[in-house]
Amino acid sequence: MNVAFFAGAILNGLVTGMLYALMGVGLSLILGLLNIPNFAHGVLYALGAYVMISAGKAFGFLGGALTALAVVGLLGAVIEYFGVRRLYRVHSDYILLLSFGLSLILTESIILVWGPVGITSQPPAFLTGGIDLGVTVYPKYRLAVMFITTALVLGCYLFVTRTRYGAILRAGIEDKDMAAALGINIRRVFTLTFAVGTGLAGLGGALMSPVRGLLPTMGIDILPFAFVVVVLGGLGSLPGAILAGLLVGVVQSLMTAIWAPGADASVFALMTLGIIARPQGLLGRR
Amino acid sequence: MFEGRPGAFLRFVLLLVAIVALPLAVRPVVASEIWIFSIAAMALNLIFGYTGMLSFGQATFFGLAAYTSGLMMIHWHAPLLVVLAAGTLVGALAAAAVGYVCIQRVGTYFIMLTFGFNQMFFFIAYKWTAVTGGDDGLPGIPRPPLALGPWSISLETSVRYYVFVAVVFLLAFYAMKRIVDSPLGVIFQSIRENPVRAAAVGYDVKWYKWIAFTLAGAFTGFAGVLYSMMFGIVPLESISWIISGDIVFMVLIGGIGNLYGPLLGAAAFKWLSEAISVLWNRWPLILGVALVLVVLFLRGGLVEAFARIRGAFGGGGGRRDADEGVPVRVGAEGEART
Repeated sequence: MNVAFFAGAILNGLVTGMLYALMGVGLSLILGLLNIPNFAHGVLYALGAYVMISAGKAFGFLGGALTALAVVGLLGAVIEYFGVRRLYRVHSDYILLLSFGLSLILTESIILVWGPVGITSQPPAFLTGGIDLGVTVYPKYRLAVMFITTALVLGCYLFVTRTRYGAILRAGIEDKDMAAALGINIRRVFTLTFAVGTGLAGLGGALMSPVRGLLPTMGIDILPFAFVVVVLGGLGSLPGAILAGLLVGVVQSLMTAIWAPGADASVFALMTLGIIARPQGLLGRR
Repeated sequence: MFEGRPGAFLRFVLLLVAIVALPLAVRPVVASEIWIFSIAAMALNLIFGYTGMLSFGQATFFGLAAYTSGLMMIHWHAPLLVVLAAGTLVGALAAAAVGYVCIQRVGTYFIMLTFGFNQMFFFIAYKWTAVTGGDDGLPGIPRPPLALGPWSISLETSVRYYVFVAVVFLLAFYAMKRIVDSPLGVIFQSIRENPVRAAAVGYDVKWYKWIAFTLAGAFTGFAGVLYSMMFGIVPLESISWIISGDIVFMVLIGGIGNLYGPLLGAAAFKWLSEAISVLWNRWPLILGVALVLVVLFLRGGLVEAFARIRGAFGGGGGRRDADEGVPVRVGAEGEART
């Protein structure tokens, strides 16, 4: 227990925190616009990691990661177009159950294709080894993941707040019917948002696979934390998701360093306190 | 109990027939499991079907009660009725605590919160190996005899245990029927139909939601105790999201907002999973496909399927407004008596 030890723990927390934020931003967009608690988000994260493993052999690291983004995003679009779209007029509980069913199907499919045993994966050659940060030596790859996820999350934020398409997206979150009445093809916005949200989860899985390894249950293991990030951050609030993601990641990582058995429980204790103190979420308005 | 409802009496007779016939059709252990999960599914139906709150974390109360009763029987050799009471109490108290936080939010947030708390208790059970056995489960649970005053009946054989489970299931079913038929049950349904109006009429919506959630926790805990005694082990799975999902699945395939739907769902689920898991150990895949098909094409569940078949043969029965997709309740079970 010294400075280097805690610096390492905090850095680990920031790496997982940005991953949670990336998952949370995708979930939050889908939840805000489509009102879907996407239970399949976790397994799509896992699928991204597995696609990366297979595609990485053919196309290298970068090609593998981009393939994961494309495959999972496309699958998300297919799920929205052929499944979720049929259920918009029904109570949202049914969309949740649909995504739960898809989660079962995809988890079992992963086991059928890649086997039930965990797989380890290596970072690309130019990112192996550590780098001396003064306080501690930290793996280069994890720092790279932290920078990439940060860039992606900030990119999402700028896209939603600064572009014309982002304005349409926000209009859809605010009032779907009014947006549709103004001539916006809101259905296409739904499909694209679902594709982007799930694609980001797939990319997150691909990037994290060298850090955490691959397991068919990796998706369902990370899902509750992504939910906590959305609930704690506030509905549709991207800055909230980022803040909550970092908070959850750092608390979890520090607790793992101090008292490992309580690490996961502490995250939910944090959420409980947050909900009681601010029911609308840290930065949520509603 | 059945006044003014000829169909209700018939359904109850069919239930009794099913209880007698079931152990002849499937192994007594599977038959016991069906009634145990029927209790848990009834409990979810109380909060989802009647009060309109979908909890994705019922395994929290199921598992906590199973671990509590298991530990009491291993370390203290506690008698049967004591562990049943203790497990029910633990289920109710845990549901009161978890529910208090969860009902602060509605809809999607409520679902995610129940799921989140479920995972929290799962992680505690997983990591706290000294008490729960972690991944290996909690083995070596004795099955105490049923002691009533001077009499003591052994429940060691699976047939005897089935009879015991069937009797306590009927008691739980009767209690649940009394709850949903009572004025309290009508308030629950009014909250499901329109929480804003229920509040405007003067009912404290959060308070009644909390009561419904706590009652469901008690029933789920009761089922958890029965489960812990059945195999003599509490597997880690009993507190995981898998069981929570299974319970949601049972209620959904059976049909929500109807007293008998969850029983049909639990029977179909357990029977199918028993039959398919022997053939193929990737059977959750089939489960997922079935769930997707039910959600897309048969949202009223098995009860609706029966009604549609009956309708196809010219009889009366439920009908569904395809556009709204709202499952129509068959018979008077889900509706308030006037």
